Amino acid sequence: MKEAFLLLASGDAETWATVLRSLRFSFFSTLFALIPGIPAGVALGGRDFRGRRSLIAVVNALMALPTVVIGLFIYTLISRSGPLGFMSLMYEPGGVVFGQAFLAFPIVVSTTQVGLSKLDPRFRETILTLGAGPWRRLVSTLFEARAALVAAVVATFGRVTGEVGVSMMLGGNIRGTTRTMTTTIALDYNKGEFDRAVSLGLVLLVIALVVNLALHALASHED
Amino acid sequence: MKTESLWSCRDLELRYPSRSGSRGRAAGQGLVAGIGRQPCIPAAFFAEALDIGRGECLALVGPNGSGKTTLLKALNGLLAPSSGSMLFRGEPATGSTELRRRSVYLHQSPYILAGSVSYNVLYGARARGLEAGEGHARARAALALLGLEGFGHRHSRALSGGEAQRVALARALASGADILILDEPTASADSASADLVLAALRARRDAGDTIVFSTHDPGLAESLAMRLFRLRDGRIEGE
Repeated sequence: MKEAFLLLASGDAETWATVLRSLRFSFFSTLFALIPGIPAGVALGGRDFRGRRSLIAVVNALMALPTVVIGLFIYTLISRSGPLGFMSLMYEPGGVVFGQAFLAFPIVVSTTQVGLSKLDPRFRETILTLGAGPWRRLVSTLFEARAALVAAVVATFGRVTGEVGVSMMLGGNIRGTTRTMTTTIALDYNKGEFDRAVSLGLVLLVIALVVNLALHALASHED
Repeated sequence: MKTESLWSCRDLELRYPSRSGSRGRAAGQGLVAGIGRQPCIPAAFFAEALDIGRGECLALVGPNGSGKTTLLKALNGLLAPSSGSMLFRGEPATGSTELRRRSVYLHQSPYILAGSVSYNVLYGARARGLEAGEGHARARAALALLGLEGFGHRHSRALSGGEAQRVALARALASGADILILDEPTASADSASADLVLAALRARRDAGDTIVFSTHDPGLAESLAMRLFRLRDGRIEGE
C-alpha cells in the first residue's frame, strides 16, 4: 500500500498518463452518450405513448447487460468484417469510446427519463398554458429537471470510468494507446504486480467518492 | 348587445383518462365497468349546452368534486371531451392555437417555476413573443397590482403559499392573455391579499378581458362575476 501511495506521489509518468487517458475516454464517451441519450430520455419521460413502457423495459434491460456482452456486440460491429469495420475503430481509442458510449447510453436515457417523470404534472400544464411552444417547453423542461440531468452526467461518467469489459475487448489494453485504469489493474493483477494496480485502484476509489458526493450534494440541494 | 361567442359546448361530457390505460381512451368510449382492460370512470362533468361569450366574467361555485376544475381545464384545452363537443370560436378547444395563444389557466395550487419571481412573471410574456419592453412593463404592472413590488429578485422556492399564488396570478396577468381561467384564485390568500386579487381581476374585467373562475368565496363571486353557475355532482344545477 505504501508503494502504491509513493507511485502516485512521485508523479510516475505512466501511471498518471493512464489516469488521464481513462478520464479522457470517459469524458468523450459520456459526451457521445448524452447527445442521443438526453433527447431519448426526454421522449420517454414526457407524455405517454404507445410502446413507451416496452421501450423503458428495453432500456432497463440494456442497463443490466454485462459489459463483456456489450463489448462482444460492439466487436461484431466494428471488427474488420463488421458493418462498421471500415471505420478502423478496433483496438483504437475511438473503439473504446464507442463501446463505452454504448454502455453509457441506457444509463443516460434511464436517469433522464426517471428525473423527468418525477416532475410535477402541473409543471407541463403551466408552461403549456402560458403559451410556450415546443422548443421553449423542451428548454424549460430540461432547466426544471437540471438536477436529474447533472445526476445523469455524473452517474454515467462514474460508470464508464469504472468499467473494464468494453475497454479490454475493444481497446485490447495496448500500452500508451488504449490502456485504461481498469485494464491496467486487470493486467497487473494477472502479472502479480500490485503496486500500480493498487495506486490506480485508489484513484478509482477517489473518483467513485467524488461522484457519490456530487450526487449526494445534488440530492440535498433539491430537498 | 349580444357578445361574440367564444366557447360553445354541446352534450359535453368530461372524464379523466384511466391511469392504467393509454391517453385519450376514456372509459366512456365503449367500455363497461368490470369488462375490458380499464375500469369505468364516472363522468366528472356533463352539460347539455354551455356558451360563454367574449368579455364575460363567469364564476363557478359548488362543493369539492362538483366538476369545477375539470370544466376549467377543458375550457383551457388541457382536457379533451370524452364525448360531445367543446368548440372555441368554431374549432375544438383542445388543439386550438388561438385558445392557447389567448388564454391562461391558473391552478388552485399554482406551480411556480424554478428561478426568480421575475423569471416566472416574465415567462408567459416571453413565451408569447411580446417585445421585451412590453413584457417588462406588464410584469412590473402586474407585480404592483398584486402588492409584490420588490419581489422580482426573490427565489420562487422562498415564497409562502399566498405569495406564490399572487406571483402565479401576476404571471398570468403579464402573459398577454385576454382570457383568464382561474381555479380558486384566492384559495391561499389572506383577506388583504384577497382584496388585491379582487381589485386586479376587477380591473381586467372592466378592461374587457374574459374571466372564468371557480371559488368557494361567495363574496368574490358576487362582487366580480357577471354570471354564476352552481355546480353539483358534475352538473350545472343553476345559473
